[in-house]
Amino acid sequence: MSGRVIVITSGKGGVGKTTASANLGVALAGTGASVALVDMDIGLRNLDILMGLENRVVYNLVDVIEERCKLRQALVKDKRLPNLSLLPAAQTRDKSAVSADQMKELCKELSTIFEFVLVDSPAGIEQGFQNAVAGAHEAIVICTPEMSSVRDADRIIGLLEARKDEIEQYRLVVNRYRPNMVQANDMMSVEDVLEILSVELLGVVPEDEDIIVSTNKGEPVSGTDNCKSGLAFRNIARRLRGEDVPIMDFSSQNQSWINRIVNFFNPVRV
Amino acid sequence: MQVLTNLFARLRPNSVRTTAKDRMRSMLTYDRLELPAGRLECLEEELMAVVSRYFELDKSTTQFDLQQYDRRASLIANFPLLRSKC
Repeated sequence: MSGRVIVITSGKGGVGKTTASANLGVALAGTGASVALVDMDIGLRNLDILMGLENRVVYNLVDVIEERCKLRQALVKDKRLPNLSLLPAAQTRDKSAVSADQMKELCKELSTIFEFVLVDSPAGIEQGFQNAVAGAHEAIVICTPEMSSVRDADRIIGLLEARKDEIEQYRLVVNRYRPNMVQANDMMSVEDVLEILSVELLGVVPEDEDIIVSTNKGEPVSGTDNCKSGLAFRNIARRLRGEDVPIMDFSSQNQSWINRIVNFFNPVRV
Repeated sequence: MQVLTNLFARLRPNSVRTTAKDRMRSMLTYDRLELPAGRLECLEEELMAVVSRYFELDKSTTQFDLQQYDRRASLIANFPLLRSKC
């Protein structure tokens, strides 16, 4: 088998890379695909916490690369989904512990076992980022509709463009979207961001307090029903699998009937 | 109240959203070209000096800026000419 290796990146920190990685991992596994989540944030690992797997980590990515264990020994199986595994980052090392070539090898090996290999990139554009993209064929760029995040996303897109030979496709996920603020013209819309970045859209995830609750519980929202951000992540997973899922309209939620009529003529699509 | 705010927001020409978008666009144009501030003005002056040797210009209506098309920048210069200097 030759699975798809997809790096999840953003440039800026705190925009939701790790949250998106965990949720897309769960959502893709929920569609029946076999998925490996790779935490590349060596020294600052967090993906294990979001997955609720922090107590099961024995070996990590650096142990695999330095041949202290076999790849299969380091993979931590998800609690609910047997077809989802996590390869945790090392917590006591730093980004220089692995090289780009080693990452390429590792991603290649993982893609012989899994249909999807999702690599959670660290923030920044230095070696940690370079290692994270090294073995990837596709990229998902995460940004929030804020100026600093869009600027950093643009920088990342420039770097991905420069790797056209390896990265065949990159698409954007607009995260923490606030339709109410866009409606009030206090924030850039998805369309604004797309126009500025000239990039293909993969999905939009609304701002959602459930994310904080789910992180505290160690259960990604895409595994639970009745949650708008969870649904958004599941839709993105389906789009990744090639399904044609329309971008949903979140704007009519939590609004009065007059607003719904106003929005009917000027919808904000999510 | 939110309804009124939203209705008025649509009519307000210089909304925060537009400001953000405009700032963003110009910032990224400079970022992508790695163009330092002031460099474009420098070019404008030089170009204008060259054109002025050949033509008399209407300096009040010249236009000189960068525009983005699909992640590529173009230099748009418009120097209205009054008459030839030859």
